[in-house]
Amino acid sequence: MPLVMVVDDDQDLAEMLSIVLTGAGMEVDLVNRGDQVMDLFNTNTPDLILLDVMLPGIDGIEVCKLIREKSMVPIVMLTAKGDTHDVVLGLEAGADDYMVKPFKPQELVARINTRLRRVAKVGTLGICDLVIDQMEHKVIKNGKEIALTRLEFDLLAALAKEPGRVFTREALLSEVWGYQHAADTRLVNVHVQRLRSKIESDADNPEYVLTVRGVGYKAGAAKV
Amino acid sequence: MLLSKIKIRQSLSLKVLVTSLGFSIIIAAVIGISVHNRVATTIINEKIAISKVETANALYLAQGHFYIARFQDDSGLNKVVQDFITSSREDGSLSGRETVILPFAKSGNEQSVYQTVPTLLVLDSIPKSFREQVRQADEVLDKRVTIRYSDGKEFPGFLIGGKLNIPRTGVYEIYYLFKLDAQYQSISVITWTLFAAGLLLVLLIGLSTQFVIKQVVSPVQQAAAVAEKFTQGDLTSRMSVSSEDELASLGKSFNEMAVSIQQQIARLENLSLLQQRFVSDVSHELRTPLTTLRMAAEVIYEQKGNFDANIARSSELLINQIDRFELLLSDLLEVSRFDAEAAALGVVNFDISNLVKKTVDYLHPSKSALFEVLTPVEPIQIEGDPRRIERILRNLITNAVDHGEGKKVQVQIKTSENEVAIGVRDYGLGFNEEDAPYLFDRFWRADPSRARTSGGTGLGLSIALEDAKLHQGQLLAWGKPQQGAHFVLTLPKLHGNSVQSFPIALAPDDLVSTEN
Repeated sequence: MPLVMVVDDDQDLAEMLSIVLTGAGMEVDLVNRGDQVMDLFNTNTPDLILLDVMLPGIDGIEVCKLIREKSMVPIVMLTAKGDTHDVVLGLEAGADDYMVKPFKPQELVARINTRLRRVAKVGTLGICDLVIDQMEHKVIKNGKEIALTRLEFDLLAALAKEPGRVFTREALLSEVWGYQHAADTRLVNVHVQRLRSKIESDADNPEYVLTVRGVGYKAGAAKV
Repeated sequence: MLLSKIKIRQSLSLKVLVTSLGFSIIIAAVIGISVHNRVATTIINEKIAISKVETANALYLAQGHFYIARFQDDSGLNKVVQDFITSSREDGSLSGRETVILPFAKSGNEQSVYQTVPTLLVLDSIPKSFREQVRQADEVLDKRVTIRYSDGKEFPGFLIGGKLNIPRTGVYEIYYLFKLDAQYQSISVITWTLFAAGLLLVLLIGLSTQFVIKQVVSPVQQAAAVAEKFTQGDLTSRMSVSSEDELASLGKSFNEMAVSIQQQIARLENLSLLQQRFVSDVSHELRTPLTTLRMAAEVIYEQKGNFDANIARSSELLINQIDRFELLLSDLLEVSRFDAEAAALGVVNFDISNLVKKTVDYLHPSKSALFEVLTPVEPIQIEGDPRRIERILRNLITNAVDHGEGKKVQVQIKTSENEVAIGVRDYGLGFNEEDAPYLFDRFWRADPSRARTSGGTGLGLSIALEDAKLHQGQLLAWGKPQQGAHFVLTLPKLHGNSVQSFPIALAPDDLVSTEN
């Protein structure tokens, strides 16, 4: 059973979340304070973290940064403010996805499942000299492994699977994030930037993940 | 003329300048003219007086000579008289004086009659009446005359006349004619000097007025400029106060007023900001408990098969009301965003025709028979925020369905060169004309007693209007009781433009036939 760490200072909401998630076949750890997250994380590493933005101790954005220093575990932020720069801040701090309160429990479960999904895929993909090992979930550049979050790996793999295709942001949201209908395309922008900063030699002149102006993104073509 | 009058009225400095120049010209003219007259009279009269005395002396002297010469013979006397005549003519030629000797009463000797008249002089220059007076008088007389010559020349001058008794010949009238052209010349020099001095005076007064104006008017102008800036919304503009005079106290009062206005405005802004913050905070704070509530309700709802009918139905109602509550909350939040002017447009280029079709299909798949959608075949690309435009459409269409009483709803798109219009027409209840101004008000309902059938929040049209305004578009409503309503959204095709024409008229054309 996957272990989900729920970080929320609202006791009732946390309890309700644990009821819903347990009902969906997950194990749940509850944390009420931001500054307690790392202790529990070290002793009982979860498969996914559900993180509220407003927390006593240290806030969700900081917690997110602390976790990212150590781990690539999927993080889904919970926010009461869908429109503010909180969302972008959270994504830039390393969150994979976010849910705006109030959300429907089915939607939350679906989103968590997408992030936990580990479909066994065989074979390696490549963009130019980048080797994407789907079995081992590794990306190797110049013989060195690059550490990517699972979401970043999925994003890169999605692009690499169909080298000629230009993906719209909406298509990526549906393939990588599992959204059923239109959502916030900032999610894609932020994660492409993060991915580039990890794999590209020069993030301003990308080779692997190319922007197609007015449409979306595509994988870089192998150099002849 | 009129223009200059207006200009003078408008400018304080010009008014002061014109007034002071006018007064100084009048004063300079009065003083100049009186000084000039005084000086001119004095010069002429002095000349006359001196000439008179001199003439009297000369005549007295000549008379003396004549008396002494009486004892000589005729030729001797004649010589004395001739000498006198010659010398007085020669003297006169130097000083511009003419000598006229005319016989008046003869006695004895007829042969020696002295008469001398300058060749060109017109004898009429000496008026008859004056000659009469001279003949009667015992002393020397004077008179102002015009001296005329037969060649047409005329000079201003005066006349001094006396009598001369030449022994053995008789009594003669002797006239000296003095020309005053030299005096008039000096008077004209004085005139010009006075005129120049007057001009200079006026000029100096003008300059000094200008200087004074600068000192007085320019702070006033500055005050006016500052006040104007203040009116235009720059609440930080203040007058500079550098002295202790009346103008400084004006500046001080102005600045005090400005500070108090600024504080008042800041206080009001702060209040409204607090209120907006409060609405926004409340909306956000409600979200967490609402999340818990929703999840709990869903958990119960999923188990409804195990409950009895009442509890199952209750769980349904609970879910429905949570949906409505959520809708209300997000609308409230949107309204508070508009109030805080924090609503941002995400402008992209998209096909609005497609958006309209999609919105109609998505909203009411079960009621598709109800709709009549009239769109042009080719796509209509516009610049705008599709999320907001979709929200407007959703509001208008839902509204039309809610109030359409099951009759058809017509949605049409028309374009002009720079605008696109979307009309949503229903044939239901409509509304009274007097209700039109309140349609877009928050939580406004046409008939408060009417049952609320839809899940509308009462904020839909208000938000739609704000969304339209954000696009610089127009959202207008037409309605008649029992004849339905017509809402027309008109948007500029390019972001940043404004609406210039209306491709769809607000009054629906299907009504004209029924009215006539």
